[in-house]
Amino acid sequence: MSGARPPALAALAAVVLAAGLALVLAIAAGRVQSVRVAAAEAEGRMAAALWEEAGGAQSGARAVGGLLGERATILGAGDGGDRAGAYAYEAGALDPAAWIAVEPHGADGLPGTLPGGALAIALAGAALVAGWAARRRRGPVSSRYPRGIALLSLGCVALAAAIAGRWADGELRSLSAATAARGAQAVELALAGGADPARAARVAHLPWAEDGALEATSEQWTMPAGVAAAIAASPDRAGQPAGAPYTVEADGATWHVAHAADVHLAFLGYERTASPALALAAAAALAALLVALALHLVQLAPRPRALRRMLAAWGLLAPAATLILAFTLGPLLFSLWISLHEWRLIDPAPLFLGLDNYAALLADGEWGSAIGNTALFTLHVPAAMAVALALALLTRGSRRAMRWARLALFLPGITSVAAIAVVWKWLLSDRYGLLNRGLERVGLDSVPWLTSPDTALVSLMMIGIWMVVGYQIVVFQAGLAAIPRDWYDAARVDGAGPWQRFRHVTLPGLRHTLFFVLVTSVIGSFQVFGLVYVMTEGGPLGATDVAVYHIYREAWEFLQFGNAAAMSWMLFAVVFAATWLHFRFLDTRRAHG
Amino acid sequence: MADRAVAPRTARGLLLAAACLVMAAPFAWMALTSLMGQLEVFAGGGLLPRTPRWSNYPEALTVQPFGRYFLNSLVFATAVAAGQVATSTTAGYAFARLDFPGRDGLFMLFLSTMMVPAVVVLIPRFLMIEALGWIDTYQGLISTELVSVWGIFLMRQYFRTVPRELEDAARVDGAGRVRIFWSVALPLAKPAVATLGLFAFVDAWKNLLWPLLVTRSMEMRVVEVGIAAFHSTYEINWPYQMAAGVAAVLPIALLFLFTQRYFVRGIQLEGIR
Repeated sequence: MSGARPPALAALAAVVLAAGLALVLAIAAGRVQSVRVAAAEAEGRMAAALWEEAGGAQSGARAVGGLLGERATILGAGDGGDRAGAYAYEAGALDPAAWIAVEPHGADGLPGTLPGGALAIALAGAALVAGWAARRRRGPVSSRYPRGIALLSLGCVALAAAIAGRWADGELRSLSAATAARGAQAVELALAGGADPARAARVAHLPWAEDGALEATSEQWTMPAGVAAAIAASPDRAGQPAGAPYTVEADGATWHVAHAADVHLAFLGYERTASPALALAAAAALAALLVALALHLVQLAPRPRALRRMLAAWGLLAPAATLILAFTLGPLLFSLWISLHEWRLIDPAPLFLGLDNYAALLADGEWGSAIGNTALFTLHVPAAMAVALALALLTRGSRRAMRWARLALFLPGITSVAAIAVVWKWLLSDRYGLLNRGLERVGLDSVPWLTSPDTALVSLMMIGIWMVVGYQIVVFQAGLAAIPRDWYDAARVDGAGPWQRFRHVTLPGLRHTLFFVLVTSVIGSFQVFGLVYVMTEGGPLGATDVAVYHIYREAWEFLQFGNAAAMSWMLFAVVFAATWLHFRFLDTRRAHG
Repeated sequence: MADRAVAPRTARGLLLAAACLVMAAPFAWMALTSLMGQLEVFAGGGLLPRTPRWSNYPEALTVQPFGRYFLNSLVFATAVAAGQVATSTTAGYAFARLDFPGRDGLFMLFLSTMMVPAVVVLIPRFLMIEALGWIDTYQGLISTELVSVWGIFLMRQYFRTVPRELEDAARVDGAGRVRIFWSVALPLAKPAVATLGLFAFVDAWKNLLWPLLVTRSMEMRVVEVGIAAFHSTYEINWPYQMAAGVAAVLPIALLFLFTQRYFVRGIQLEGIR
């Protein structure tokens, strides 16, 4: 079995490790670069506001030059958009429209600014693994797993990621401080130009407050109360000269603060809003996984058949595994992470809350009623199953007729939910709906199917039954056909009547089918959305507000992603518990015979 | 003969016919209303349109760009079906026929994701697609839907029923694993592939929530979202809405009519195992 060892494979581990380290460094450098551009954008905004405040092309250009010096270029109205590495902002609608292009900080020296330590570790790690691979090539063939080397590579990647993260953090901090300082400078220029403090403060486009308002924040100031209090309490406040940035801790984040005269400006640090920590951790994990895989392949190299089998297996699995990792397992963990935060799309950075979202949801009556409505709606599943089972039993054996009936039976379940919802809304419409017209024709009162909180959910359950019952009939017929005929004959010989045959032969024979249909239908029913979205929008008075619709509104109407993620995990827990209970129920039934 | 004749033949037929009638009635009413005049539906007349107003169809389908919606749905559902067939057959074959360390553990991990309600991964998927800049694009619509654990399971079960002897013969001839998969196992699995492809297509076609979230412009809307939006715009014009509804239901009904044995096979594979 000690066949030829492809020497190229031995170097694979080293190459993969080097690539992983390069990925980690590239992510850190890329994030810092994008924040440099964002900081230049912020400066461009300040310059444009200052230009407008100065009120005139001449004085405007002078003010912009005073703020940004050489880094700012003022362009004509036409040729603003396409400057590389710069940001263009349209200045005022009154003056001749002009664009201000700002050169980002440190755009030229990107490779030089990469952390030397991370580079050194990356090189040393790659050299070590390469050396090990080369030595193996000469040494005796061994199938021992190279744990030491694997751990070493892992350590290299983790260390490089940590150092790159620290470096990126430092860079982002200094960019944040520079932005705060630039804001203070812009305000100072505006004050020097004779603007009153409130107008001048707005030039910086940053949260601000005046000295006097720090202790008693009023709505007029845009600075969050917590930050104002932190600045008021900060020991740095008195000693700092105008325009020199310092930091305060407030609302669980670091704010960079600078002041001009008695206007204080605060800036939520880039190290929080654009932290590369998550991306770096993901990249490091990916790199470590790839290194372990490469080492495994190297270890298999002496056994070409095993190697080929392994490569074939992973080659075939790769597309599905990658997609499941990227779009199911990864998002699953991500959603758990989101649920621990106050995560609103409009916020610059999510705020870590721990389990607060969950605690709040436990006391949230609307969410509780959404879960209750979902559970009630789910009662249509056993009802539909009973109807379907009865119909399947009564029409048992009519195979020819079934072939013709299938389209009608299946169509409600497989076709467009939106179209179904619309036609049912028309059928159940209060005055002109077919059902109410029929009721009136035979002399009965019409029913407010979808417009009364008492009936709306029941109406939806009716439609739910109509949608699944045909499909269930077909499934049950298939299940019935699979029950051996001998069982019935044996039961008949034992003198069992129709009921007893149903109870002791049909039901046990269908047990798997029933269980399967129950579990899948319940899981499906917990996720009902289309009917509610089109027909009732959760109304009237929240009577049909089901879980998924509630989550949809929480996330995409109120933009409370953290809260919505916590809701979805609670729904998951309920579905999981329901399935688990079914299993348990089934097991005990089996245990008791 | 066992419990075959619970009910006499004609009674069985009548019962089935009655069930079918209940199932089909809403669709029939949809078709009838789609041919009525806009005010006729409120007049409370008979069930049949006085004179069939066929122009409802061209009118309803052009006041909003339904042609574009249908094209989008077709692209979306076809791409999803093709992708799910590709990922499910490859992974299903690996799980059914290849030995590698961690196979059963990985399969259980995949299966366990079937328990996860789609809504749990909805928010992170949306944030990922948004971060990629794929909102309102085909790749944003399609990329998350390209794999189906049910499909992998289905294909694995099917490949396990393929006799090993056929593969062994190919191996004696010197074919590699991937080669055997492509030229021996896959052709034998055509019925299962057809079933999987159809289910994937239909499920994608009737997916409302995901397209609702990741499409913004009218040019990217799919039929499901189009019908829902049409409903809120033309709230009381029932004939137009029903015409659009018929147009949305018809393709799937026709598809089912011509391929129903694959659907039934899928249901049987699902229900009993």
